[in-house]
Amino acid sequence: MNPILEVKNVSRRFGGLIAVDDVSFNVSAGEILSVIGPNGAGKSTLFKLISSFLKCSSGEVQLFGQRISNLSPHEVARKGVVRTFQETTIFKSMTVLENVIVAHQIRAKANLLDFFLRTPRAKSDEGRFKESALSIIDLMGLTEFKDEIATSLPQGYLRALGMSIGLATSPKLLLLDEPFAGMNHEETMRMVSTVGRLRDELRLTILLVEHDMPAVMKISDRIVVLNFGQKIAEGSPEAIQENPRVIEAYLGSEDTALGI
Amino acid sequence: MEQIIVNGLYLGAQYALIALGLTLIFSLMNVLNFAHGQMYVLGGFVTYSVVAQFGMPYLVGLLLAGVTLAVVGGLTERWLFRPVIAKSHREESTMLLAAGIAFFLDAIILLVFGEKQRGIPKIVDGVFNWDFIVVMPYDRIVIGLLAIGIIVGFILFMQHSKTGRAMRALAQDRVAAKLMGVNVDQYSMIGFAMGAMLAGLVGGLLVSITGINLGMGGPTSIKAFLMVMIGGAGVISGAIAGGFILGMLESVGLSVLSDYGDITYLVIFASLMIFLALRPQGLMGKPWG
Amino acid sequence: MSAKKWLWLAVFLIAVFGVVPVFIEITGRSDLYYTLTSVALLSIASAGVWLTFYIGRINIGQGAFALVGGYVSAILVTQVTVNFWLTIPIAGLVCAALSVLIGLPILRLRGVYFAMVTLVLTEVAKLSALALPYTNGAKGITSIPLPGPLVLFDLVLLPGLESIANPKLMFYIIFSVLMVLAYWVLWRIVNSRLGHLCRSLQQNEELASSIGVNVAYIRVVAFSISSFLGGVAGAGFVGISQSIYPSSFQVADSINFMLNCFLGGLGYVFGPMLGTLVLYFGWDLLFVTGRYQLLIYSAILILLMLLVPNGMLSLFDRKKASS
Repeated sequence: MNPILEVKNVSRRFGGLIAVDDVSFNVSAGEILSVIGPNGAGKSTLFKLISSFLKCSSGEVQLFGQRISNLSPHEVARKGVVRTFQETTIFKSMTVLENVIVAHQIRAKANLLDFFLRTPRAKSDEGRFKESALSIIDLMGLTEFKDEIATSLPQGYLRALGMSIGLATSPKLLLLDEPFAGMNHEETMRMVSTVGRLRDELRLTILLVEHDMPAVMKISDRIVVLNFGQKIAEGSPEAIQENPRVIEAYLGSEDTALGI
Repeated sequence: MEQIIVNGLYLGAQYALIALGLTLIFSLMNVLNFAHGQMYVLGGFVTYSVVAQFGMPYLVGLLLAGVTLAVVGGLTERWLFRPVIAKSHREESTMLLAAGIAFFLDAIILLVFGEKQRGIPKIVDGVFNWDFIVVMPYDRIVIGLLAIGIIVGFILFMQHSKTGRAMRALAQDRVAAKLMGVNVDQYSMIGFAMGAMLAGLVGGLLVSITGINLGMGGPTSIKAFLMVMIGGAGVISGAIAGGFILGMLESVGLSVLSDYGDITYLVIFASLMIFLALRPQGLMGKPWG
Repeated sequence: MSAKKWLWLAVFLIAVFGVVPVFIEITGRSDLYYTLTSVALLSIASAGVWLTFYIGRINIGQGAFALVGGYVSAILVTQVTVNFWLTIPIAGLVCAALSVLIGLPILRLRGVYFAMVTLVLTEVAKLSALALPYTNGAKGITSIPLPGPLVLFDLVLLPGLESIANPKLMFYIIFSVLMVLAYWVLWRIVNSRLGHLCRSLQQNEELASSIGVNVAYIRVVAFSISSFLGGVAGAGFVGISQSIYPSSFQVADSINFMLNCFLGGLGYVFGPMLGTLVLYFGWDLLFVTGRYQLLIYSAILILLMLLVPNGMLSLFDRKKASS
């Protein structure tokens, strides 16, 4: 299968500190790839580099064979790489449905003057957006909350809303930043099945960063392990669980067990 | 050259005190006290009244200036800022409230003290003269030393006293401070009172040298903002640095560039804008964003 | 738009273009024309500041653009003999261009940092007026003649003000029309997709960026419209006061524009208009209190901020009041 994302020898330095050190891997279409590693391994930084919220000190990132690491964040998003945030970021004072509709609207292709003068083309878009928003909300299991103000949602559902906003843009690659963080077992399992559905029903490719090992092992097609900014292992969940270097990296830190 | 440096140090000490007050308030409550210049003017007038009209010693006047402003500051925080911060949806409201308070203080000063420029007699006579290389009236030296003394006292207070430590915790992280049991409301009030007090003290200090009048409020506020922005908002060392830098700039400007007038200030302000655009956190502020 | 809103609009237009002139003619208070025309112009400038708030920035620099706009108009009228009415859009465009230049580096700053830079901007504008050539320094530009007739292809679009009986009325009508236009533009922006974009910026810039919104571009567009309005207001003042000085627009004015937005309510398009009306009229009315004018004015201001920290128009919004 052709890789849709290629991370090639990417590094990022902050002064004297090397946060990400010569990391390379590919992500194939339709797979779920997880990036794991002890605290401080560079996972979040790697994410920011891929979505262009940070510039690479060296190396590059390619999407469908084209370099995206020199583009600005919004351009990368327009190419189809959409990132969700660790902190639940949403449009606070709108309802769940409005949040997702707005996400469609602000991505719409019509130009500024169209917006301003409210042309017929702009008007017909509104109907489409609402339909699309409703189906996304349904997929993410948020239908019962669709008319609630976003800030009144419980934590787990806020995360789902953040993802829904990202989905409104019809991404090709979804970057999920710790989607299971702070969730109890039941919420985690629900999110695991939701993410699975995104891959199966929407044919999305998903790259995620996570600490929750049981969830990672359950959901991932492949796993990349980082430690101190370097890639130390790559492979299937089973292979990773038995990889001595990975076990050593985790034993050396305070992190959770590997969930074997 | 030495004269310029000494002048700069003297001015810098005064400005640093003003900047410290402003930065304290900003770091605690994220409020840029638009009324800071007016508080400075009020302090000056209180000292003037006490000394020139009631005939009391200078230090009493200075002390009363500090006390009055502390009270004004505390009351302002408790009864004006606190409810507005609680009720409003946007953080800009406090800035606007401060602007309203600035107008209000201007009005009070106008009514109570009048429009005229006021001053008090020199507190110490005589001039220090080192071979005409450095010429400095004794009273300026005294005022400069007092200012530095207050700055040092303030820093020690913030570093070592329980109140100071609580306020520093509050400035760093409001939520964490609350979780540690710090009474956020009370310390916000104390902090504001202290910030206002510092402004008032500078007013009391400078009324003996340059006099005080109603119109000085606004420009002083702007200067204070500039210092805090140059040095770095919310950082004590930044305020001091900003104060001394502005003092030095003015000292240099007064002696070297006075012929060029407006173009000089234009260049200074424009460079300032560019500096702030490139480095919004100032010299020592925490990197943000 | 709902029927209720059309009704409000009708009432408003009748009040502005019908009731006011009639009232003034009957009572002979023609000084009110100047007052209300000033309100119209100031509310145009405040509308600009409102728009910058709309993209999540605190703009204390509108005074600078008003000053620049005024000087552009004054210089064009006195030295290049351009018809005054034409200088109004030109002043706006010059300010818009200037704001793009200035905005590009500074719009990425947020909160107080942006506010402080714009504060410095107002000072820079004043110093430029004092120091640069063609601006006549501290003396300003005075004795600017009343606008002449605006003629296009032998067709008189607007008569010269020397020739008509009631120039004040004409200024009032024209600038009120401009005010209505300015707010129409604001209204359309808010209710269009550009409005959604701006609101998303206000709420969460990173999120907007992460789903493909070119945040920097939107900010510059909004800021340039805002400054355009500032320039127009400044040019307008040159028309009615026939002079401009470096001190015509200062930091206090920039702050007042903000206050106008604030008092009316930052969440409402017509907030700045209402705020300007109340604050300006309020100040004028309090003139009778003599020395106590500033005291009472600022006390009321503070009181209003305590009682309606979200602006006067928020009183009409029961949904927000109950939350």
